[in-house]
Amino acid sequence: MLNYFKTIYKVGKSLIQGMLVTWKSFWQPSITVQFPDEKLITPERFRGALTFDKETCTACNLCVKACPTACISLEPAVDPATKKRIAKVSWYQIDFGKCNYCRLCEEACPTKPIKSVRHTHQYEWGMLERKEMFVKWERMSPSTEPSTSGSTNMKPI
Amino acid sequence: MNTEILRIQGQDSKTEEMILNLGPQHPSTHGVLRVILKMDGEVITSAQPDVGYLHRGTEKLAENRTYPQMLVISDRWDYLAAMSNNLVWALAVEKLMQIEVPARGQILRVIMVELNRIASHLVFFGTYGIDIGAYTPFLYAFREREKILDLFEEVSGARMTYNYIRIGGVMADLPKDWIGRCRSFLEWMKPRFIEYDTLLTENPIFQDRTKNIGILPQPLAISYGISGPNLRGSSYRFDLRKDAPYCLYEKFNFSIPTGKNGDCWDRYWVRIEEMKESVKIIEQALDLLPEGECNAKVPRIIRPPMGEVYAQIEAPRGMLGIYLVSDGGDKPYRVHVRPPSFINLAVLQEILVGMKVADVIAILGSIDIVLGEVDR
Ligand code: SF4
Ligand code: SF4
Repeated sequence: MLNYFKTIYKVGKSLIQGMLVTWKSFWQPSITVQFPDEKLITPERFRGALTFDKETCTACNLCVKACPTACISLEPAVDPATKKRIAKVSWYQIDFGKCNYCRLCEEACPTKPIKSVRHTHQYEWGMLERKEMFVKWERMSPSTEPSTSGSTNMKPI
Repeated sequence: MNTEILRIQGQDSKTEEMILNLGPQHPSTHGVLRVILKMDGEVITSAQPDVGYLHRGTEKLAENRTYPQMLVISDRWDYLAAMSNNLVWALAVEKLMQIEVPARGQILRVIMVELNRIASHLVFFGTYGIDIGAYTPFLYAFREREKILDLFEEVSGARMTYNYIRIGGVMADLPKDWIGRCRSFLEWMKPRFIEYDTLLTENPIFQDRTKNIGILPQPLAISYGISGPNLRGSSYRFDLRKDAPYCLYEKFNFSIPTGKNGDCWDRYWVRIEEMKESVKIIEQALDLLPEGECNAKVPRIIRPPMGEVYAQIEAPRGMLGIYLVSDGGDKPYRVHVRPPSFINLAVLQEILVGMKVADVIAILGSIDIVLGEVDR
């Protein structure tokens, strides 16, 4: 019988001690962020969605070889007059469904000072269909801007 | 309405063994683990873990990946401690190529791995509380873990799949003011352990539910090849950081906590103490951090010579090893991973027998498995 009350006393005491800890935390400033209204600043090295610069790329294929999941494909441009390959891309495509966001392609890219393929700080990206994950950049027709990179297809929250 | 009274006869009534499936969608199995339990009433007569739901075949994938590419995949084994996975892969390749990493690179690796050990044990602490029925510690643990992940995000750019420790060193040197932020985190972390003890460790309900439950005797632990905090909980002092030091661990001053009985509480307590030791190691490492290069000279295309190596480290869950065979090409010939979680999980079929069904979750939680590593 005595043990019974001892146990009740012990549990009750630890309950109050535990509540004291929560009571102290209760008065500390909140560390959560109300996401769509407030946003955290991403650090400099943040690996967000990839972007591609179709003018500086030399179509050297190093990023394709570096990628662990083979999600990059490209085709070098051909000079229409001489029918020879030139150091430019005709189109460049990244399959973001496979991408690991690992920065190996950016590290392999030899263009200086700004890498042709690089991570941005963009982390909000919604897609409704699988084919939207293929993002293609074409150099030949200047009107086609990257259609899905950016928040253009995102509904406002 | 007529009701029929069923009479259970004394002698010719039969009882049957019941088979209960725990998982693979049970929230307390920490992933996709299925345990087939045979029960006689409340008491378990046999338990059989069934794994493989998360199998991605990374050992086979390695044969089609170059050595740096494999680092990205190694992040996905034990996703709660991806730095350790990066480290063991880098160590294996470096051993094969006989690359000497500069001291700064080595110490940076130690800092990252130990921070990751704290983060990983914090997840254990939080989820184990939930398993037993205490929700509050989870929120506290994840608050602290979030701070560690912020530090990792600054240094590597990602929160879970870091790809930071590279062959020959690390991805990049520390960003500006990172050391200061890391130190202030450590200062902030120290008083938190007292909070944890009040919230969970010293709670009599928690102690009642874990003490003398799921006892893993030392001989059984050794014969099953258990490693990490589970082995140390059974009062066997074995830690690769002391017994086979790598990455200049011999320079650090830290102790190895061991339990007494090998029950759930001992395994829990060892992890809490390990976090405190990790804080000490990181503090010493920040003091020790030498100036200079952090990367060794590594050829652009990594082609290790023909041969085979075995590299091992003390990951948060135990001894993580890589057996690597190279045929001289730029891709491994064969890779085998020794995952601590998988081997620790095997002992479940022994220690669950004779326990009550209510204790299954407490025992499973105390083994602390990560299914990504069990299934690879
Ligand atoms: S980030 Fe990694 S996975 Fe994605 S495209 Fe670049 S190399 Fe490939
Ligand atoms: S993006 Fe860079 S690495 Fe890839 S083809 Fe262009 S120049 Fe070469």
